[in-house]
This record gives sequence, C-alpha cells and structure tokens, in this order.
Amino acid sequence: MSDYPDNTGPEPKRDDPMIAAEYALGLLEGEELMNARGKTGSDADFAWRKEWWDNWFAPLTDEMAGMEPSSDVWTRISEEVNGARKAGGAQVIDLTSRLRRWQWTAGITSAAAAVLMAVMVFAPGSEPVTAPGTTQTPQLAAADPLVAQVPIGDTGLRLDVTYIPDSEKMLVAAIGLTADGVHDHELWLVPADGSELQSLGVVAPGEVRSMELPANVARNLENGVQIVLTREPIGGKPEGVDAGPVVAQGAFSQV
Amino acid sequence: MAGDARTSANDPATIARERLRAAMVRLAGGDSGALEEIYTATRVKLFGICFRILGDRKEAEDALQDVYVNLWQRADRYDPTRASPISWLATFARNRAIDRLRTGKVRGGAVPVEEANPLPDQAPLADSLLVDAENAAQIHTCLSALDANTQGHIRGAFFDGYTYAELAEAADVPLGTMKSWIRRGLQKLRACLEASEAS
Repeated sequence: MSDYPDNTGPEPKRDDPMIAAEYALGLLEGEELMNARGKTGSDADFAWRKEWWDNWFAPLTDEMAGMEPSSDVWTRISEEVNGARKAGGAQVIDLTSRLRRWQWTAGITSAAAAVLMAVMVFAPGSEPVTAPGTTQTPQLAAADPLVAQVPIGDTGLRLDVTYIPDSEKMLVAAIGLTADGVHDHELWLVPADGSELQSLGVVAPGEVRSMELPANVARNLENGVQIVLTREPIGGKPEGVDAGPVVAQGAFSQV
Repeated sequence: MAGDARTSANDPATIARERLRAAMVRLAGGDSGALEEIYTATRVKLFGICFRILGDRKEAEDALQDVYVNLWQRADRYDPTRASPISWLATFARNRAIDRLRTGKVRGGAVPVEEANPLPDQAPLADSLLVDAENAAQIHTCLSALDANTQGHIRGAFFDGYTYAELAEAADVPLGTMKSWIRRGLQKLRACLEASEAS
C-alpha cells in the first residue's frame, strides 16, 4: 500500500460489474445514471451485481454517526400514512394491499411458480395440468379476454395485461423487468369517456400478478381502451401531485 | 465489544435484528402498526445516513419521511430470506438520499464530520443495529488494501455522495484521471471481496 494512486497496468475495463459498483457508490450522474437505472430494470445480472455491491458497502454506514430527528418527523409520517389510507387514495391503497397479500401468499417463489399460481387463481376449477410457460392457456369461461401489450421503449421488453371480463380479474405480467430501486411504474386506465385516469396499481417487476378490479374501474375496460405506464417515485404517484412522464402505452383488444 | 456474542442466537444484536425482520414481515403483510416499531428502532441510524449525504437537517428530515412512507407503501420489496433488515434499510435510505442529491432538489454534498453531532450512547439500539460484523470486517480489509488516495476517493463517494466530476474537481485532476484511479480501485476491491467469498 502507498499513499498515491496506482497508475500502473492497463486501464481497467468498464464492464457491467464495474458500472454496477459506480452506480452503487453513487458516482454516476446524467445520462450514465439514467442508463444504469434502466439496466437495473432490464438486466437481472446487472441488478444482482448492484445488490452485491450494496450489500458489501452497507456496513460502511455504521461509520455514519447516528442522529436523532425532530419529534415531528414521526407525526408527519403517520399523518401521511393515515391520510393515504383514508382519503381518495383508498382505491389504489386497497389494490396495493390486495396485491401485497397476494404476493405474500405466493411467497418468495420463482416467477414460474407465480405464473402457475396466477393460472390457478384465474381458473380455480380447472386442473393445473399444463406446465407454466407452455403455450396452453387455462380453461376460461364466458367472455373473451381483453389483452393489451405495452412495449417498454426499445428494450424489447413489454408488459402483458390480460383482463377476463366475467372474473373481474386482471393479470399483469412484467417478467424480465427488474426494479431499479429508484422508480416504480404505475399503470393507468384511460377511460374512453374522457374521465380521469384510473390507477391499475404499481407494476411489480419480474412478476406476474393477479388483481381484482373494483367495479368502477372494471366498467371502463372495453375493446380499444388505452392504458399508459408512467414513471413514478417508489411506491407510485404520490397524492396531490401530477403523474410522472408516460413511458409506454398500449390499448386493450379483444381476443 | 460484543464481537463474539454477535454470533450467538441469544445475544442482543441477534434479537434486535430478528425483531426488526419480524416487524418488516408484518408490515409487508399489511400491519401498519409495525411501521412505528421499525421507526423507533431505526430512525437514528437512517437519519444519520440521510443527514450525512444531504448535509442539511431539513432536507434530511424530508428524506427520512420519504424513506418510511415508501417503506410502508412497498414493504413487500424486502425479502426476509436474503438480506439483514438493517443492511437493507440502510442501503434503501442512502439510495433515497443520493437520489435527492442527483435530482437537483438539494446541492448538499459533504458534511464536515464534526457537524454530524454523533449520539454514541443515547442512540436507541445503535450498537445492536450495526450491520453484519463479518461483512464489515471484510470490506474494511479490502478497502485498506487500496492506496490511501484511491481509498479516500471511494469513501468520499460513499459517505458524502460525491460524483466522479465532484471528486475530480476537489482533487484538481482531470475527470478521466479520477475515473481511472477509482476504476482501478474498484477492480481491486471486487477481486478482494470475491476472494473472501470463495474462501
């Protein structure tokens, strides 16, 4: 060890693990930061490596002196939490908590198991004879499903949204996406009658989720209706502020 | 020092960590009451992190509020089987604070350490909530194998939220030189950490 930087040897290659380290340390800004965030959302290996660095660096926070925040911080937190539970956000919160319960039931399973679970949720009477990921679809009664594909930029990834009219259940598949730890993406229904956008909840990257739609959302779901995906702070659009930028959109069509 | 005791299942650190893990699981299951328990146990550590990065008490308190409200909204992202809860929360808080810096809401940067107003003894559960002692020893070993200059820059990024450009300016060297120093350091750091995992 010396006091001066080691300038010998070849210039280090800036491979993905290196970029993940730069991102974890917080060295990046501007376009490089946006690229790293995007990669965390689309590249599971990169996301894993970012978490690897985070876990190694986490003990360094023990050197940061603890400090007592003002007592009104907790008051503000509990007011915000209680406000969000009661107020107009009730519908979104309700969806969120349903999703959470669903996810918890599914546990920390692989995406494949989640698909199987979603299939079983959809068609409780059908026999789960097909392996997840095969082309066979579960037996579905009555009305034809509405499907929407929402391509995410030019990443080749997309969200698949399926709605089964009679079941009032919607299936959102975000397989291949991973969380960037900085943003969430929220899905919105754009009612054909021009009324206010309705939240379909925050998208769970890398997962397939089934959710029940409240009647006031479900009645707006029809052939041709648009959905948009916005980029939001973690947790989804905060109350009282405008939604974030639209990053992708699609429309439902009957199949 | 509780070094050896930390490895025992009954020592205070393990109990505190498991209690926190259980509260996180309850929160994810929809029990909002668990949030206050988590706040009580972790606020001093997480506020210290936010303040260190943002350098402004008001900004740090806003960031802290944001951290816990987001935790409540998205507690399901914590995977209790994979990470120590305090390690995960510390990373979460630091990332949120860094994000605030980068989105231009504040231009805080470094806080002189003497301003950081440490609370060594009064801090609730402060000692019990240290991040995994074994990991801590290893990252320090690997960091200290780097030359002092590079180590200082990497620590500047971690502790004060400096970007490459800010580090280069502070050291009065071209941006490319700073990148090259830090990348050499990170390359060595990775090799050292990976070697420790393999052994």
